[in-house]
Amino acid sequence: MKQFLAILKDSFREAMDAKVIWVLLGLSALVCLITFSLSFTPEPPDKAFEQIVTKFNFVFPERGKGKLPVILSDATAYTASNVQTTADGYTLRLTTKPSGNPLFRRGSSRPDEKTSQPDSLRFAVVNWQKPAGHTRTMGFGQNGPPLEGAEPQEVTLEEAETLTDDDLDTFIQQQFAVHAGMDNVTVKRVTDGVKQPEYAFDVVIHSTEGVRGWPTTTKLFFGAVTIPAHFPLGMVLWFIEEKIINGFGATLTLLIGVVITGFFIPNMLRKGALDLLITKPISRPALLVYKYIGGLTYMLILTVTTVGGIWLVLALRSGFWNPNFLLLIPILTFTFAILYAFSTLIAVLTRSSIAAILLTCGFAFFLYLVGVIKFTLDDFRADPTQRAEVNKTVGDVVDGIQFILPRYKDVDRLTTKLISDATLTPLEQYALAKSKVEYPSWGETFGVSFGFIAVMLGLACWRFQTRDS
Amino acid sequence: MSVIETRELSKEYGRIRALKGVSLTVEKGQIYGLLGQNGAGKTTLIKILLGIVKITGGEADLLDAPAGTTSIRERVGYLPEDHQFPGYHSGYSLMDFYGQLYGVSRDDRRRKIPETLELVGISGRMHSKIKTYSKGMKQRLGIAQSLLHDPEVIFLDEPTDGVDPLGRREIRELMGRLKEKGHTIFLNSHLLGEVELICDRVAILQKGNLVREGTIAELTAQKGRFEVGLASGQKFPETEATQLGYSIKHIAAAGGGKGPAPTIELWEVGLVEGQTIDRLVRLIVEKGLNLRHLVERKQSLEDAFLATVEGAEPGVDKRSRKPMAVGGDDR
Repeated sequence: MKQFLAILKDSFREAMDAKVIWVLLGLSALVCLITFSLSFTPEPPDKAFEQIVTKFNFVFPERGKGKLPVILSDATAYTASNVQTTADGYTLRLTTKPSGNPLFRRGSSRPDEKTSQPDSLRFAVVNWQKPAGHTRTMGFGQNGPPLEGAEPQEVTLEEAETLTDDDLDTFIQQQFAVHAGMDNVTVKRVTDGVKQPEYAFDVVIHSTEGVRGWPTTTKLFFGAVTIPAHFPLGMVLWFIEEKIINGFGATLTLLIGVVITGFFIPNMLRKGALDLLITKPISRPALLVYKYIGGLTYMLILTVTTVGGIWLVLALRSGFWNPNFLLLIPILTFTFAILYAFSTLIAVLTRSSIAAILLTCGFAFFLYLVGVIKFTLDDFRADPTQRAEVNKTVGDVVDGIQFILPRYKDVDRLTTKLISDATLTPLEQYALAKSKVEYPSWGETFGVSFGFIAVMLGLACWRFQTRDS
Repeated sequence: MSVIETRELSKEYGRIRALKGVSLTVEKGQIYGLLGQNGAGKTTLIKILLGIVKITGGEADLLDAPAGTTSIRERVGYLPEDHQFPGYHSGYSLMDFYGQLYGVSRDDRRRKIPETLELVGISGRMHSKIKTYSKGMKQRLGIAQSLLHDPEVIFLDEPTDGVDPLGRREIRELMGRLKEKGHTIFLNSHLLGEVELICDRVAILQKGNLVREGTIAELTAQKGRFEVGLASGQKFPETEATQLGYSIKHIAAAGGGKGPAPTIELWEVGLVEGQTIDRLVRLIVEKGLNLRHLVERKQSLEDAFLATVEGAEPGVDKRSRKPMAVGGDDR
């Protein structure tokens, strides 16, 4: 253990000696500063709820369990009124009435005038209860962008009429949860003075937090620049955490990490340097594995400072503490561990830092490519209309390669899921990731990747052990 | 008690035979010198003993354990030739790092690191980065790191390389002190003068073969050659001596010592196989001459070494791919 800690400390010293890490830490501090300059001003409750309820025409079937929403094409006009702020949240009156807008007909990609529903709310609630209809790319609204969604199911008059007030209340309750992340909501239908097909509900929201779905005015550089659109706070956080940090930042850090650490093991294996180490009372495999783990400290330093810093700054500025984002620290380090295991093997085989860096970069690109191709193929295969277009041989080859290789792309997708789950509403997740492909399992993704790391290190240790210095 | 023992040790790097059946024994408390041309196999021998390279044939034991045994390394110090320390360390932090690898306790490291660096004369710069050190300072640091954990056996491969003459003397004295404390030192050096001054026993490797081995006195002795000097003015009985089978050669006149002592003439007397100097001494006495000088001739270690390797091809480097690069390695 003492030897392990000694090598860890030595690797830390080596990492800190590389000037590039200071540049990266400086960049990290700059990103933290820019993030700190962000300010988030929630829209006033009346305006916020006005915007939130317009999304209620997206209904996730199977009581919210469905993956794709039924797009009801503004069939119901939802209005939030009399919004009051209370000690622990808000109260409001939600009224609904049919807008007269047509719905999609089965097999049609545009709304049809004939499908206008006389009682659009009950139609929505029945669709919320039923399994999803056929998947179809549909125009959102009259002239909106095409979105992939579930077709509305046919609803009989009997089905609509058998709905109870509790069903309606629960539906509205769940719509608040799905579209605004508000889980503690009490809904009670109001019948006095309201005639069907119009409806009214008294809504009590026992929460002042409105991260997901709550429209927010975002300003940059300490208020100097105002972002025009009122994106929900969660979506802004998602953009920073997912696109800037997990996307661009992580890729840059991984690549620079491969370059910097690509020198570590070849440096150790240099003539004159290696002899000093392998004549110490430590076995060669232990030395190599400790050195490998030590190299990971490089990535750990960068991710802890960058991710930890951004997480802290975002939480302080937005008031939203997203622990999921912190998981990026071990996940990014793990992703780097995959590449560094490969780099270690190349370094032991060639003793060349240039070879280790170039081949590892190439390997990373190859893994990414395999992941993207596999993902695209799976997307095709998930769609019955496109499944036949996938060449079986190509599919089998890609599946085979993906099976044995570490799940570089899958780790990235799972990270995206982690961040998205915490910051985005299901509708936003659906809108931002329109894939039909299920997320990979954590167990398989990390299991196969760990296996790959073990094989790489095993081969490296074997070669290191059996060769002369 | 032997601390190092090799039996018919051989090592091959592909087609290159670096060691060809080397057998030697180093006793505890000795300073043992290993000589040889570049590529003779000296460094290979050390590396085998330390487990850095694998044995092709034969056996090697270090401290009663097979060479390369990991646990034995706690009792062994090593200064490699052409060592390269990580530049990001200071002298102190490097010693601290190696001390931890050797399992030296924190308290001991705090106490011994400044002491050891003081011993080799670089304690004043121990907190400076190694990349700012001169070659000589790095060499001293290399020696220091090999001593930190108080090893029983110390392998020093060219320890005075890059060190100034004063520093060399200090290192020599240090080795002497280590020997007095019971340490065994295995020294690999090209500086034959140093080896002659400090080593108890010496082995000479040539093209992977152990060609000579013994004490300094044994190696430098010129068997069968004596210097003889008579009192001033007396004539050496050259003819009679030649008739007795001795070969006689006049060397020079030598001073008689301090003060006004007279000059004496010196002759080199060569003996044939089985002959002793006693008959010539009797002849001188019988002739009434006065014997003033009689010593068995010796040569310097360098002479002995050159005589041993005379005619050998220049040393070769292991990494050479040329076909002529056969017969050894100096790694």
